[in-house]
Amino acid sequence: MPTISFFQKDFERLLGRTAPLEQLESWLPLVKGELKDYTQATGEIRLELQDSNRPDLWSVEGIARQIRIKLQGSPLAYPFLQTKTKPKRSILVAEGLERVRPYVAACTATGYTVTEESLTQLIQAQEKLADLYGHKRKTVSVGLYRLSRIRFPVTYGLVKPTEARFTPLGLSEKLTLQEILTVHPKGIEYGSILVDQPLLPLLWDTEGQILSFPPIINSQDIGQVHAGDSDLLVEVTGTDMRMVLLTLNIFATNLADRGAVIDPIDIQYPYDTEWGKSLRTPCDISDVQKIPLKAIDSALGLPFDAELVQQTLRAYGYEVKASRHILAVRLPHYRSDLMHPVDVAEDVAISRGYDSFVPLMPAQFTVGSLSALEMMSDYIRDHMIGQGFQEIFSNILLSREELVDRMGLPAADQVVEVDNVMSQSFSCLRSWILPSLLRVETASPRAFYPHRLFEIGEVAIPDSTHELGSRTMVQLGVVIAHPHANFSEVHTCLDMLMFYLVKDYELEPLSHESFLDGRAGTILSQGQSVGLIGELHPEVLENWGISVPISVFELDMDWLCAES
Amino acid sequence: MQTSAVYDSLHPLEINLLAAFSQSADKPVSDSSLQEISRLEPSQVSMALGWLQAKELVRIHSEVTTAWVGLTEVGHRYLEIGSPPEWIVKTCRQGAEEGRSFTVKDLQGLNTFPPAELSRAFGLLKKEGAIALGAGGRIEATETPSPTVEKLQTLLNQVKESPQELLSFSPDQQALLRQYAVKRGSAQEPFRIDDRVQREYTPTKTGKAVAKRCHAGAVEEVSQLTPDMLKDGSWRSKRFRKYTISLRPPRVAPGRRHPYREFLDLVKHKLVAMGFQEMRGPLVETEFWDMDALYMPQFHPARAIHDVYFVKTPTHAETIAEPFLSQVAATHEHGGPTGSSGWGYRYDKERARRLILRSQGTAVSARTLASNPLVPGKYFSMARCFRYDQVDATHATDFFQIEGIVLGDDINFRTLLGLLTIFAKEMAQAQESKFFPAYFPFTEPSVELHVRHPKLGWMELGGAGLFRPEVTQPLGVTVPVIAWGLGLDRMAMVALGIHDIRELFSVDLEKVRTLRGRFA
Repeated sequence: MPTISFFQKDFERLLGRTAPLEQLESWLPLVKGELKDYTQATGEIRLELQDSNRPDLWSVEGIARQIRIKLQGSPLAYPFLQTKTKPKRSILVAEGLERVRPYVAACTATGYTVTEESLTQLIQAQEKLADLYGHKRKTVSVGLYRLSRIRFPVTYGLVKPTEARFTPLGLSEKLTLQEILTVHPKGIEYGSILVDQPLLPLLWDTEGQILSFPPIINSQDIGQVHAGDSDLLVEVTGTDMRMVLLTLNIFATNLADRGAVIDPIDIQYPYDTEWGKSLRTPCDISDVQKIPLKAIDSALGLPFDAELVQQTLRAYGYEVKASRHILAVRLPHYRSDLMHPVDVAEDVAISRGYDSFVPLMPAQFTVGSLSALEMMSDYIRDHMIGQGFQEIFSNILLSREELVDRMGLPAADQVVEVDNVMSQSFSCLRSWILPSLLRVETASPRAFYPHRLFEIGEVAIPDSTHELGSRTMVQLGVVIAHPHANFSEVHTCLDMLMFYLVKDYELEPLSHESFLDGRAGTILSQGQSVGLIGELHPEVLENWGISVPISVFELDMDWLCAES
Repeated sequence: MQTSAVYDSLHPLEINLLAAFSQSADKPVSDSSLQEISRLEPSQVSMALGWLQAKELVRIHSEVTTAWVGLTEVGHRYLEIGSPPEWIVKTCRQGAEEGRSFTVKDLQGLNTFPPAELSRAFGLLKKEGAIALGAGGRIEATETPSPTVEKLQTLLNQVKESPQELLSFSPDQQALLRQYAVKRGSAQEPFRIDDRVQREYTPTKTGKAVAKRCHAGAVEEVSQLTPDMLKDGSWRSKRFRKYTISLRPPRVAPGRRHPYREFLDLVKHKLVAMGFQEMRGPLVETEFWDMDALYMPQFHPARAIHDVYFVKTPTHAETIAEPFLSQVAATHEHGGPTGSSGWGYRYDKERARRLILRSQGTAVSARTLASNPLVPGKYFSMARCFRYDQVDATHATDFFQIEGIVLGDDINFRTLLGLLTIFAKEMAQAQESKFFPAYFPFTEPSVELHVRHPKLGWMELGGAGLFRPEVTQPLGVTVPVIAWGLGLDRMAMVALGIHDIRELFSVDLEKVRTLRGRFA
């Protein structure tokens, strides 16, 4: 979700009227925007835009446009989509790019003089679109150029990494593409997009001047736009044609909203595309879709009149033709997020305003309940509290050291481990509760004794027979720590618990690295192991930096539920 | 001062003594009698008498000095082996029977008594004719008994238990006692004569008044009522020490629920009361159930914001249940039978099996949708979730998401708003709520719920929406479904007075023991 900043004055200029902050805030639901920051002195506004399917709203031009349409109640007309004359300029795509970065779209914007402010906005939109929508330039990237220097037709072609040399933005000497990838900051940052490509994409004009090396870097000469420039070329390349076309449409519309005249450019492909071998950009990319009015009604819970829906959708930028039961709708050219009639339904609701819908209480009767496991957990929690134990509630990502090494377990012991570790401290899912309770003991030697702690919670136990490679289990862990803590005391606690659970159990001597030999046992119920009990080995206590004796038990909870 | 106030100020020992005066009809009583009546130790009597005199409740009535006779170490020895004259006669008689005889020197050589004592004994015995000196200085015991030996024997026995007043003996005996008593220049004597000052005490006027309140036996102060006192009724005569009840009591650590979990318990029970059924799911999930089933495309930026933890080994689940995998794949690619255009990309079934740590509670909802849920039906889960985030004051390593679904024929945008209104009232006691358009990849329309909390003011309480048909239909659900999620941690943190989300899972026991708050 991108956050953008712009100036109130710029926004008002685009909107064509004044917009005090409160007024602006009242419009924000139209663009799913959230005000993050407002600096009164400068009029700078920071907005977070929520909808990742609406990149057209990631710029001040787009936000102003959506509100303008609402205020005037109908879509805006963009003549560059209507013109029938053949474009004066063209870009020729070379063979082979279908395997590297197949698509390109471009247009010119003239008659509008770029200001410092609008340049900042253009660059911000360029970055947000390429970074978030274009997956860090992988799917889509955008280039802006000074049109006056370029001699058409332009070629979008492939060259060998060492074949072409130009001065990239930010440098003063000519480098080969190979050198740019290894030396230039942008080459290093985005080079992975072109890894293993024997030939690299390049844009050059009919005089052989290099425009840019997409998606890495523009040329210093042609590809650097300054405030005061009034004739621009906008170009988008990428791997997803719809996204490439949409991105160009957004840029063309943003510039048109600022007053530029947009002239389309012809793109000639040597290979087939979804839009054919030759097309003119910008262009409409959405088809008319027929949607039953009923779909809107049932989604929104109100019987809508076709006329009203038409009005509502037009006030949100749609082209609409409504008959009695069917809506024929088309998204504006700067959007491409209509997948299902429910998307139209939401736009109807947004355009009408969510406040205009009267909430209706769901009336159907359902029975509420807790899972058997949760009920059993709650029963045992109450029991343990009655026995005087403090409940503990832990984070369950721990380190391997805590789960295995400090417990004295063999290094080969299996736990569910994270592959993309952020911090070793949170790299494993706990496989038992006890280490969580010992973390508390290590941190709390100054809390007065006795410490009687328990936790009931989830653990993940590696299990190669399970389809997920591990089982999520709920277990009870109990710790008693004080200068005279021993087996007998914790055994009493277990015994009382089992008595009230009406469960028979036996203890079978257990040899376990975490416990003192001869003072540990497996808890057996009907011959099945359901837990363990014992006095912690002094070595384990030393590993944890604990200086009181500790006796513990840990009990599987799923077993208790399965039986009852 | 009121007699009752005086009484209240009395130490139990003082009460005991005053009671003893009372028992003696307020006549003058000697300290030894007081000791006897009160059954107190001599030191306790003298201590209490001191206090009572200082308080002017008791005064000295008379003071008499008397002489008392007791045994010394030497006296005890005489009782054991006989006095020196007795020993001389006995030793000589025994010797004569065995045909042996002793000279003075011989007896001195036995070292039983110091020579000075023996000399005095020889003098006495010769004077009384109890011994005679034969040839060679041999001592012969005569038939004449020594009266002094017998008298000494009697006296030794008389005072062996406890000292006796000198005046209680006959003048004759008194003379003998004085002769055999320790005095300057003669330390080795069997008797000791000490002067004792005997005082008699009598209560003052106030003392008499106070003494009336003092009952013998009602005077022992105790701090603890015991079962014995209750059994034998002796509690009636006890005085229970009064406590300073304004002092803080000692601390204990009671058995107690964890405060954050207590908060979640409350939420859980409210949801059940609203007709929601609990659902559960695994901590380790596949990307399929965590994201694909929720119509989050494998390439989409909405997925990039869900930076997830991947499982190291095994990396992939063996299978994804059919027909769900195929149906979800078809929906992603071209919409399948859902009436959607789909995302229009090639779905990667391999990636669907990638194992991760559950990143959102909605994964549990997806699994529920795919397992023949009830219609109408309401479900909730409190799911532990994991995000690949730096841990800080607002990000815990893992956290709970409270999420759920509502299935039914009557589900639409308005009933969604209705449900959220109930949540606002039940979960945040909010009378006012606002709905804002929101974006979630799996719902359309989507809503953000803002409420005016009575204490916290306007806050975001949760997000919700109607599941896209691209989510429900591939999982076999044909009715509309609400998906909702609540963000309640902030309310819990404010109630508990903490500002760092990590403290919800603190390892500091002192903090856990003292963390408290009321969740209304």
